[in-house]
Amino acid sequence: MSAAAATFKPATEAAPRSGARLVVSTLEKLGVEVLFGYPGGAIMPIYDALAGSKLRHYLCRHEQGAAFAADSYARVSGKVGVCMATSGPGATNLVTGIANAMLDSIPMVCITGNVAQGVMGMDAFQEVDILGVTLPIVKHSYLVRHAADIPAVIEEAFHIARSGRPGPVLIDLPKDVQFEMTSEPRGIHLSNETYIAEGAVIAQAEAAIRAAKKPVLYIGGGAKISGAVEAVREFARMTGIPQVSTLNALGTIPTGQDNFLGMLGMHGTRAANEAVQESDLLIVVGARFDDRATGKLAEFAPHAGVVHFDIDPSEIGKLRKVAVGVTGDLKPNLEALNASLAAGPAIAVNDWADRWRAQSIAQAFDYNAPGEGVFAPQLLNELSKKAGPGFIAACDVGQHQMWVAQYCEFSRPQAHVTSGGLGSMGFGLPAGIGAKLAEPDACVVTITGDGGVMMNIQELATVNRFKIPLKIILLDNSRLGMVRQWQEFFFERNFSEVDLSDNPDFVKVAEAFGIEAFRIDSRDQVSAGIDRLLACEGPILAHVIIDPEDNVWPLVPPGKNNAEMLEGAR
Amino acid sequence: MSDTIHIQIDRADGALQRLIGLVERRGFFIDGIDMASEGAALNIAMTVRGRDAGRCIDNLGLQIDRLIGARRISNDAAFRSAAA
Repeated sequence: MSAAAATFKPATEAAPRSGARLVVSTLEKLGVEVLFGYPGGAIMPIYDALAGSKLRHYLCRHEQGAAFAADSYARVSGKVGVCMATSGPGATNLVTGIANAMLDSIPMVCITGNVAQGVMGMDAFQEVDILGVTLPIVKHSYLVRHAADIPAVIEEAFHIARSGRPGPVLIDLPKDVQFEMTSEPRGIHLSNETYIAEGAVIAQAEAAIRAAKKPVLYIGGGAKISGAVEAVREFARMTGIPQVSTLNALGTIPTGQDNFLGMLGMHGTRAANEAVQESDLLIVVGARFDDRATGKLAEFAPHAGVVHFDIDPSEIGKLRKVAVGVTGDLKPNLEALNASLAAGPAIAVNDWADRWRAQSIAQAFDYNAPGEGVFAPQLLNELSKKAGPGFIAACDVGQHQMWVAQYCEFSRPQAHVTSGGLGSMGFGLPAGIGAKLAEPDACVVTITGDGGVMMNIQELATVNRFKIPLKIILLDNSRLGMVRQWQEFFFERNFSEVDLSDNPDFVKVAEAFGIEAFRIDSRDQVSAGIDRLLACEGPILAHVIIDPEDNVWPLVPPGKNNAEMLEGAR
Repeated sequence: MSDTIHIQIDRADGALQRLIGLVERRGFFIDGIDMASEGAALNIAMTVRGRDAGRCIDNLGLQIDRLIGARRISNDAAFRSAAA
């Protein structure tokens, strides 16, 4: 045996690998296929290791776009979204996207590079304490100090991101850790626990439901997140109890189902809000009594007891006292409740349900508006009908977001991607990218406004670069419409800083990015425009001109209860 | 009214900052804090007071319990144990 041969290590001993290579190999091991990001100095070793890997990296044109795309990818695919950025400005540009994921409980892992540990705390170039910056908006975070910890940290981060109540996890990797060579990565053992409530608690919930005369099922985004959609639908079918939904839960009950009254809250339906106000029991599944849903909390559902199902014990009783709190995974707990209900006599709430079904039909949204201009609600309704069951709406934030919620038809919760908790303008375009990559066969339509689209318009370059066949409807009222609406009603028409009439020509902008685009100016162009949009095989943008004075109705004024809805004239 | 919460939490980057930030963000004043390390953990006694009547110490306990790395939490009334 030669001396050189003797230096070979035994086959069982792994060759030393850099921290950066461990990042990539661990992501591959975890089944990550898609990630979004933007390189820079402090994350260059990872980008170096990325070349030649099986991971598909989508280079966005701003880190916020990368974070939003990862968030949306997670919402639609059900997988953990992954985004990466460098230190300093790269990391801080992720912050809004991280907060967005936190507020809507979206599983996301964000990997940031940072300066080497030796200069940390010395105000080094592009040094920011991103761990400190993001502490309030992450489910958890890590500063990794040894390369050997990388596989365990990443695996644990994925586990934390998707388990229990999901949320974003940040992993900050100093540059020296990315370069560090190690042959003995630390292992980890993770258990997948399911939290199921005790049978006695389910029995209490059942008893409360059986005793109620005017129950309402109040569905939140947790139903989708926990995979409990079918259990919720079964409960609704079996009991006939009227159902209302938060913004983030739309689609859990398909639009148009008999006892589904629509969205509750500030821009909810009159039937949904009035049924809740009159109810004697709210069965709350995966919702957190968000103020946009409850209106004035002290006057929300004043006669109702609450049975609250949630994975997060800190949500139960946080804002509303409950009669029965059922902590744990929604799916097994609702399945247990359904089994128990099925074994007993049928729930008898027909009169109550019939009344609200009739009211819901009588007060259905009106698709007619005077004039020749484009009426956005009608356009959106026609769009969702023509797009069919494969439709996914990736919304921006503002008036159009509420019109989508009110007028589009959703057959599943993944079909409605919206920034609910944070309400972050700029979400729509990168959200469309993430959704389309998550479900390539779906008809994904970004619905945005002239305010929101300008906040991440650079992502048109991402759409073009990867030839992502995303459809974009840009509803342009040359205003910050929702702010304008509030100024009209609550600030004595003092229209302060809402005029965007100097917007660029969005058709030319899209074309400059290499994307087909056209304009819709009048109502008679709407149907043909939707047809063109849906028929296009590549990315396409429809620039739709709407009336700056169109408002979102109904509206619960701030500080009022949900029964005090305003209905406006169109 | 003040309550003293006893928390044992993994010693990790940002652990103390995370805890203090959470308590303040959830609407509590921190009137006092004592801390000692014990192996890989920090033992913390924190005296807190709600900013208004709407702040519930039990709910704060549940929020702290959600922190990854929180091992044990109890107040003087031993309202909750996160320990397995």
